[in-house]
Amino acid sequence: MRRLSLYVKLQQLEEITLLRDILLIYGLFAIYYVMSVNVIYFSVLALSFKNIWTVYRRSVFSKFNTLAGSDLVPSVSLLVPAYNEEVTIIENVRCLMTLNYPNYEVIVINDGSSDDTLEVLTTEFNLTKLTNPEMRNSIDCTAVTGVFYNPEFPNLYVIDKGNGGKADSLNAGINLSHYPLISSIDADSLLEKDALIRMARQYMENPEETVAIGGDVRIANGCLIENGQVKDFSLPNKMWPMFQAIEYLKAFLGGRIGWSSINGLIIVSGAFGLFRKDYVIAVGGYRGGYPGEDMNIIIKLHRYMLENKLKYRIAFCPEAVCWTQAPESYRILASQRQRWGRGNLKNMIENYDMAFNPKYKVMGLMTMPYNIIFEALNPYFKITGLIALVGYVMLDMTQWKILLVFGLINFLSGYLFSIGALILEEIAFKRFIKISDLWKMLFYGAAKFFGYSQLGTLWRIQGHIQFLRNNNSWGAMTRQSWKEKSDTAKSA
Amino acid sequence: MPNSATLQTSIHENLYQSIEEWVKETKPSVYGILFLYASAGPTNLDAQVRRILESQPNLDFEVWSDGEANRQVVLLPELTLDSVHFQGLLLKQRLLEVLPNLDLRITLASFPEQGEASQAVLKQMSDSVMKSEASDIHIFTKEEAEAAKNRILIVDNDATIREFLQIRFELQGYETYEADNGLVALDLIEKLKPDLVLTELNLYGIDGLPYIHHIQQIHNNQAPKIVVLTEQKVEQTISQCFERGVDDYITKPFSPVELDARIRRCIQ
Repeated sequence: MRRLSLYVKLQQLEEITLLRDILLIYGLFAIYYVMSVNVIYFSVLALSFKNIWTVYRRSVFSKFNTLAGSDLVPSVSLLVPAYNEEVTIIENVRCLMTLNYPNYEVIVINDGSSDDTLEVLTTEFNLTKLTNPEMRNSIDCTAVTGVFYNPEFPNLYVIDKGNGGKADSLNAGINLSHYPLISSIDADSLLEKDALIRMARQYMENPEETVAIGGDVRIANGCLIENGQVKDFSLPNKMWPMFQAIEYLKAFLGGRIGWSSINGLIIVSGAFGLFRKDYVIAVGGYRGGYPGEDMNIIIKLHRYMLENKLKYRIAFCPEAVCWTQAPESYRILASQRQRWGRGNLKNMIENYDMAFNPKYKVMGLMTMPYNIIFEALNPYFKITGLIALVGYVMLDMTQWKILLVFGLINFLSGYLFSIGALILEEIAFKRFIKISDLWKMLFYGAAKFFGYSQLGTLWRIQGHIQFLRNNNSWGAMTRQSWKEKSDTAKSA
Repeated sequence: MPNSATLQTSIHENLYQSIEEWVKETKPSVYGILFLYASAGPTNLDAQVRRILESQPNLDFEVWSDGEANRQVVLLPELTLDSVHFQGLLLKQRLLEVLPNLDLRITLASFPEQGEASQAVLKQMSDSVMKSEASDIHIFTKEEAEAAKNRILIVDNDATIREFLQIRFELQGYETYEADNGLVALDLIEKLKPDLVLTELNLYGIDGLPYIHHIQQIHNNQAPKIVVLTEQKVEQTISQCFERGVDDYITKPFSPVELDARIRRCIQ
């Protein structure tokens, strides 16, 4: 009897030792994981710092105005997909028509809106249906029911088509577009007057090899906007947009400048990007039926260029600024992030073969592995890490001091990255004129790690779950007119 | 006769414009305009003036003001310069009889003898009556009328360019106004009726070509002259602008001397 109980105890002990071993191995792995994340982050940040001086000189010394009046600048077709945008569409189209650019057209694609988007446009600009529009059918898309035009506004076209999603609308726009460059723009975003010419300038540096250029997206909540001009820049007053403002700053200035300098950019924001039309058509246009079409087109471009052994670059132009309205409520923010998580996972699964494949150079050896291991799978490491932590405490394998130090290091490195992005901003653009804004940035940059980051993890996992369940909706999004926005900004 | 108090108060905002319209409506073959100003005049100056004029039989007249009691305008249709001058002398004499301490200034002219009674000329007359030193009646001559300032509206997003042009044009005797975006410009054109609009095409608020079209729609029969001064050098845009009736098109960087010459040619 006594012998038996001893045996059981021994067995339990053995099990615990096994658990300890597993936890230990996992712990070592997690430490290396965290270390590599930080090494990558800071290498990219260092690259960004290396390039910011070029950006600064470029944005200060280039004569954009002269360039913007020249015949030599390539013509651009702006594609504006619009789905239920009747509140804001007029204002945004008006603003897009006053860009500082010599030759361009605005193509609004009404994606089978259930509201009066089309009617609002046709009455405002007095458009009539073209009897015989010249549409090339380079890319498949939902049937177009009509193209509307008014010679009074020679640079504006409106396409009406059945609902088919954002990617499908962009494809329809490409079929109508008359110019060699296309630019996709979200209907809820506001382009700065010089944004397009700044991008074109970068394109003209190397028109042979440049296949896509991304713009810098910034949060406009809190800014005073009049006649399509950001008159007074200030940070958002609400909490959710404020967190996003930091996130965007980190992603665009800290991340994308660095990634683009080694030609490893995996995404050009759907809100504002410039593309060579011939290559977009060559890769079959935008992929429909799933969010994340903006990342998808870039991955496809990388793949096409590398597989055909063509020299190319996908650039990022931080001085070309596009302002966007960030979601202000938890519900909408969550649905946006879940959508991103879903799209990201889909793109990774579709293109996993590129990862660790030397044929795909930087893309295969750096960008894809980074995105799969440190972006898509990141939430699972975070959660298992948390469970392991509980295990360490339960099994008395660690001291609270060590945990604290580990947490602190983690926090500080993340915070340092935020500060780095902020310094980049101050070097090149100096948009934060008010000292109070800088303090606000620093405060939220720290506060982000207590709650918001964790929510980000949660949303991404929820997105993955939606993906597995085949839930494929775009999710809720509200629209507010810029005018109302400015009014609230003024009164605040 | 429409010289009632209600009419007088209803027109005071755009006095010069109203006079111009009055000329257009009544189409007198000759007409006199008389500006009358008394620095510390009585509040019922208009009533006094009207009483004196009414005392003469067969005299057709209107007394208007822009709301300031001490400044009145007398419109005298079908009177030549001599008769207008006589009326001026008569008014002065009678008013001084009633109000011996009145400090009265009068500037008068007859049209079309002295040119055209444009808003700029009327404004010039009004300025001269306010500024005149002597108490003699001042007869507004053709030379003075010709020197009347033309109004130029400068529209550009760039404050430096606006300031440069403004200083330059003021020195040359133009009256200048400025706007920094297309919508403000359209507003000002409606209110000020400038003789010439010097504008950039690339503005906030409205696209260049529809903007030009709008300017020409504002005062449909007498649109201001439009001179485009812009960075935009695309041939197609230039020809589209001329098609839409732009008077001149100058590209930046520009020669100020050439700009002056082109503006002068447009205005004359």
